[in-house]
Amino acid sequence: MAQEYSDDEIEFSESEESEEDEEEKPVEEARKDAVYNIVGIHEKLEDIGWPDDIDWIQSLSVTVEDDELKAVDVNDDLAREMAFYTQALEGARDAYQKFEALGIPFLRPSDYYAEMVKSDTHMLKVKDKLLTQKKMMEEADERRKQREAKKFSKEVQAEKLKERAKQKKHDIESVKKWRKARSDSGYTEGEDEFPVNVENGGPSAKKRRVLASPGDRSGGKDRRNREKRDAKYGHGGRKGLKKKNTAESAADDSSFRGMKRKGGF
Amino acid sequence: MAKKRKVVDAAAAPVAALEEAEPPRKRTLLGRKENGYHQTDDEVANKPVFRNKEKVLVLCSRRITFRYRHLMMDVMALLPHSKKDVKVQAKDNKSSTLNELTDLKGCSSCLLFECRKKKDLYMWLSKSPNGPSAKFLLKAVHTMEELKLTGNHLKGARAILSFSGEFDQHPHLQLLKELLTQVFCTPKDHRKSKPFFDHIFTFSVLDNHIWFRNYQVSLPAGVTDKLEKQAMEKTTLIEVGPRFCMNPIKIFSGSFGGQTLYENPFYVSPNTERSRDKRKKAGKYAKKVKAKQRRKAHLDINQTEPSELANVWDEE
Repeated sequence: MAQEYSDDEIEFSESEESEEDEEEKPVEEARKDAVYNIVGIHEKLEDIGWPDDIDWIQSLSVTVEDDELKAVDVNDDLAREMAFYTQALEGARDAYQKFEALGIPFLRPSDYYAEMVKSDTHMLKVKDKLLTQKKMMEEADERRKQREAKKFSKEVQAEKLKERAKQKKHDIESVKKWRKARSDSGYTEGEDEFPVNVENGGPSAKKRRVLASPGDRSGGKDRRNREKRDAKYGHGGRKGLKKKNTAESAADDSSFRGMKRKGGF
Repeated sequence: MAKKRKVVDAAAAPVAALEEAEPPRKRTLLGRKENGYHQTDDEVANKPVFRNKEKVLVLCSRRITFRYRHLMMDVMALLPHSKKDVKVQAKDNKSSTLNELTDLKGCSSCLLFECRKKKDLYMWLSKSPNGPSAKFLLKAVHTMEELKLTGNHLKGARAILSFSGEFDQHPHLQLLKELLTQVFCTPKDHRKSKPFFDHIFTFSVLDNHIWFRNYQVSLPAGVTDKLEKQAMEKTTLIEVGPRFCMNPIKIFSGSFGGQTLYENPFYVSPNTERSRDKRKKAGKYAKKVKAKQRRKAHLDINQTEPSELANVWDEE
């Protein structure tokens, strides 16, 4: 059993390898019969080549020895472009030093305007694109910040409510304490110095007046009686009108969840 | 580039042949001299004047796509010493027609963009009428229109040419370097050129391809003529475009034909590549069936023994 198994394994691995070979072979294989006529190449080079002793200003050609370039992976876009960039930069510095040594003006004066390879409209487009890119990045940043803030906002809200409740409790407690202290110290009951209606939030709280016009000083009717009777005997009148939609109820979408966004994007 | 290529050794040149061949003789303004020759003072003093009268004819084949045509226009914008001509029929007898055209236009070299199948772009670089010429396959083409290339430079300013070191190491690259220099270098005092230098062409050899980039040289503001070291260090480059990657296919001794001097051993034509891709896809179903069969056979051979404890609970 074990023998068979191991045999099998070997067979599989071989077949897999051969498949991989098939895929990669044609890519790296160099043709053996490719022509390389070096003598002919040298002859042609002698034929067409410019003399070696011409001035540099004629050819403007610089050669940059760059060992980095050989080690660069072609498929790594960033590294490749960086290698080209460094080669170009070194070449430019080299050339500019040569210009300086030759004493030739080579920089464009600031007041020299001339046609450029790219038109102004094109450059405007380029600028626009850069700006939009920047804007988009900023917006994305903003959105990210908001998203993070939203995560915390719930907790913050709960904390606030708790704080409020605590504060209220504390206030009531302190008033009670104060009353007790007062009664202990021999004050007659029922004779409050300032009648504090704690439940309604202090003396300034207005009493709820039902069924009274603003100018009416009567204090209004007690609504509780009416309600009790309504509950007992029914309110009367037609129910059908109640069940119909009115303009207000149609416009009310507080119970409709569909249109609401579920938070920022 | 869509396809990932394996990085290969550049040591493809036959070394034996390289040793046999003598290096090219020294080229001077007074003709070719043997190596080791030194000019006398008299010769140096009365040096004949070298005048570069290069003119490049730039044209393309018919049925070229817009993108490749834009690339051609970009190249023309970069070379003030270029002349353009109408499209040529792709199947014309190339060497005679094109040499005649080049001659008629008074040009000494020709840059032909040839599009095949609406997708593959070949570029011919040829010295007319006696050659040599080189044929490239262009890949990874980006034109100047692309908005991510933000640089800009004077139209007609002469470009500085920067070559990577590898150009001097192989004979075919030496020849290509000479060709590229002559074609892409705007002659000094050309009437359409401007007397300032604000951009640089970069030719780099990487993975047996020649990569072309065009950068604007941007100096820090306020620098006018004197370059201090600091300003030199603060110099930056901004890419202007276009970009392309040249895969050399062949070098011929004549213009648009003649004896082959060099053949790229790694070159695979795009047609072959595509058919290979198709073939690979075609085998997908067969492979799947095969794999299933193999798996089945494997399971049959390696059946698991029924466990002793499998029926423990059944007996009760």
